[in-house]
Amino acid sequence: MALPDDKELESILGDGVDLTTFKQILEMDEPGDNEFSTSIVFGFFEQAEETFERMDVALDEKDLEKLSELGHFLKGSSATLGLIKVRDGCEKIQRYGKQENLDGSPEPDADVCLARVKEALMAVKSDYEEVEIGLKKFYDKDDEDEDGA
Amino acid sequence: MGTNTTITDTDRDRDSDTDSDLTNDICDLSPIPTLIVSPDYRIQRASKGVVDAWHRRRDDFLGKDLFAALYGGSPLERFDRIPLARAIEVAIAARNFRLCHAAYTADGVSYSARIIPIFRRDELLSLMLEWDPVEPKTPETRGEVIQHALSVDEVFRLLIQTVKDYAIFLLDTRGYVATWNAGAELLKGYTKEDIIGRHFSTFYGQEDLSAGKPEDELITCLREGRVQDEGWRYRKDGSRFWANVTITAIYRNGVHVGFGKVTRDLTERREGELRLIAAYEESAKLKNDFLANMSHEIRTPMHGMLSACALLLDTNLTEDQHDMANIISESGQVLLQVINGILDYSKLASGNFSVNTDLVGVANIISSVVRNVQMTLLPGVYIKLVLAPELPKSAQGDPLRFRQIFQNIIDNAVKFTEKGSVQVAASISAEDATSYTILTEVTDSGIGVAEDAVQNLFKPFTQLEKPTKKRYQGTGLGLSIAKSLAELLGGEMGYKPNLERNGSIFWFTVKLKKIANLDQLDAAGVQQQEKEKSQQEAEKEKMLKRLKEMAPQKRILAAEDNLVNQKVLSRVLNSLGFQHVTIASNGAEAVSILSASPNTYDLVLMDISMPVMDGFEATRKIRTYGNPIPIIAMTAYALRGDSETCLEKGMDDYISKPVNINKLLQKLLTWLDSPEWSKSVTNGPS
Repeated sequence: MALPDDKELESILGDGVDLTTFKQILEMDEPGDNEFSTSIVFGFFEQAEETFERMDVALDEKDLEKLSELGHFLKGSSATLGLIKVRDGCEKIQRYGKQENLDGSPEPDADVCLARVKEALMAVKSDYEEVEIGLKKFYDKDDEDEDGA
Repeated sequence: MGTNTTITDTDRDRDSDTDSDLTNDICDLSPIPTLIVSPDYRIQRASKGVVDAWHRRRDDFLGKDLFAALYGGSPLERFDRIPLARAIEVAIAARNFRLCHAAYTADGVSYSARIIPIFRRDELLSLMLEWDPVEPKTPETRGEVIQHALSVDEVFRLLIQTVKDYAIFLLDTRGYVATWNAGAELLKGYTKEDIIGRHFSTFYGQEDLSAGKPEDELITCLREGRVQDEGWRYRKDGSRFWANVTITAIYRNGVHVGFGKVTRDLTERREGELRLIAAYEESAKLKNDFLANMSHEIRTPMHGMLSACALLLDTNLTEDQHDMANIISESGQVLLQVINGILDYSKLASGNFSVNTDLVGVANIISSVVRNVQMTLLPGVYIKLVLAPELPKSAQGDPLRFRQIFQNIIDNAVKFTEKGSVQVAASISAEDATSYTILTEVTDSGIGVAEDAVQNLFKPFTQLEKPTKKRYQGTGLGLSIAKSLAELLGGEMGYKPNLERNGSIFWFTVKLKKIANLDQLDAAGVQQQEKEKSQQEAEKEKMLKRLKEMAPQKRILAAEDNLVNQKVLSRVLNSLGFQHVTIASNGAEAVSILSASPNTYDLVLMDISMPVMDGFEATRKIRTYGNPIPIIAMTAYALRGDSETCLEKGMDDYISKPVNINKLLQKLLTWLDSPEWSKSVTNGPS
């Protein structure tokens, strides 16, 4: 399929996706199918959901180090897909987990950090849901296109 | 009996028989084993000591030849006599006594001989041999006696000094030359005085020096105890020789004290090898030239014969005659194909192949070939054609060669598919301002290719089907020709197994130029913009082309822990033409892959933050092992300080994540584009 134009993409995916980066992924598809990008995006969904679960557990156990690690992990893949809001949320979790403020200065109070992580985690989950809906819509719509062709 | 009284030269001795008898008696009665021997080595007297200590009879000695009496019966008599005979000669020449160490053994005890030559004026009268036991020893410890007497160090030093075919020398712990043997002098041209105290890296060439080879060798040697290497080494006069070098670390009481180095000159062997290679290349060229000439010469009469045969078939023939003429015609066609194949192959091999530029209608060519091939399908096999709608109606390229490549792989697919299907798919795999890359894929459900045979698929004169079966005819040239043609047309050819249906997928790409359409460029401004854009695009395209040309020969190791990123990164690298990409999921894995095969990879892409071992630590380890491979860090977008840290930590470059293809392209070109490569490109197809 030919790539949809930016406006169309933005209307489907919303502002949580950096189009330049995401289009780079789309361009890796073989002409005529979205097999590769689909596998990447849906692979990411799985990874994200699993990571959120592990973050919840780590939050219960007040394991800041683990939270920072998980934040960094999901930041990597979300950045690759251009999911900027999720990426930024994950970076916050990474920082707070390292007991740092967003500007990198140290924050010695572990309880403050845990509370901030909790808040950031809620926010990132909702950002994720939004982008998940957008992406699923995008791939569904694509199927329709192909059926119609 | 003292020595100073033995050499007597007085008239009294000569005249007095009584004195002479007394002397004889004294000699005979001496408890020390003593032999009196005439100048012609006849034993004249043997003392009591001989009888007592050696348990031998006087008659064994008296009147006998000295050496026969002492050593007679020993299987190695001719060796046993050597030291004593020499010592006697020396004693006579010096006119003084000489010792001969352990010259005789009786009952497991070695006896040394004191040889006293007795002269009257210039006339040798007699030799007196007195024997003393060396030290009472049992036969088991005899070896030690000799060793004590000789001093091991002294012996080995002597042995090494005299070796002429090997340079054998010692280095101190830091690699300075400490000893130097005759062989080293001959081989390397430095005298002992020249070289002792100088560093062993003196023998290496500039290239090895800048690659850090000498230090690497010492490091490896310390780690593994021993290191072996072959390479060019330089003599004092600047001439070089092909050396085989073994370095061994030397420890004394557990303390490293230096290195032993043995160098052999293998120049002759090396030159022999080079001559063989040159001869092989020459013969391959002659073979190709011969094939090209022969096939060309054969083709002309072949065409004549086939045309005549076609005419013959149109005449009135009996049924038998018709059948036979048909056989002639069919066999002739097969023969012609074989000849054409050989001709193409030899032209490709010699680089005399021309590519024409004409209009290519990809869809038309593919459909037409598929239509023809349909006639040859085995019953029950069907063919499916999928043409992407955006395929260009026409573009510039070589339509005949394109057809030839496609014909070849589809012929193979049809030939080897006995049931199921053959599917042909064509699409645009890449496109830029000036060209399309067309991907054609032929998927069959035929016999497939055995895993171990894949590497031979594209080698000339190879047919994978076992020769005993003989089910399929052909020269085994088809695929190798098709692959070379695809490369001539700016593309590639490859194989992958058809996992779904147990057959093969052969694919190839070719590059076709776009036909400039002037209508689109109406306004001058747009034109200018387009021009700049297309210049940029062209520049990018040029870089991409360069990278894609060298990528298949390059191996990349990428360390990245996130599965999603791993997949994207492999895809990006594959799309840039890399076929050999290994993914390590943490730093420790990357280090172990690299240390297991240090020369396999050309470049490392290294994520920084990874579990088990991070990218910094991994880089440090890789550098500790002395591996100079380029390492490009992939740093997360947010941690800005990382970039500088990367260079400090021994990495060569960095690229921010998420990885941008164009940036990556640039970095890869910077680190992989070596001067050798650009040289080889000038020989490539134009």
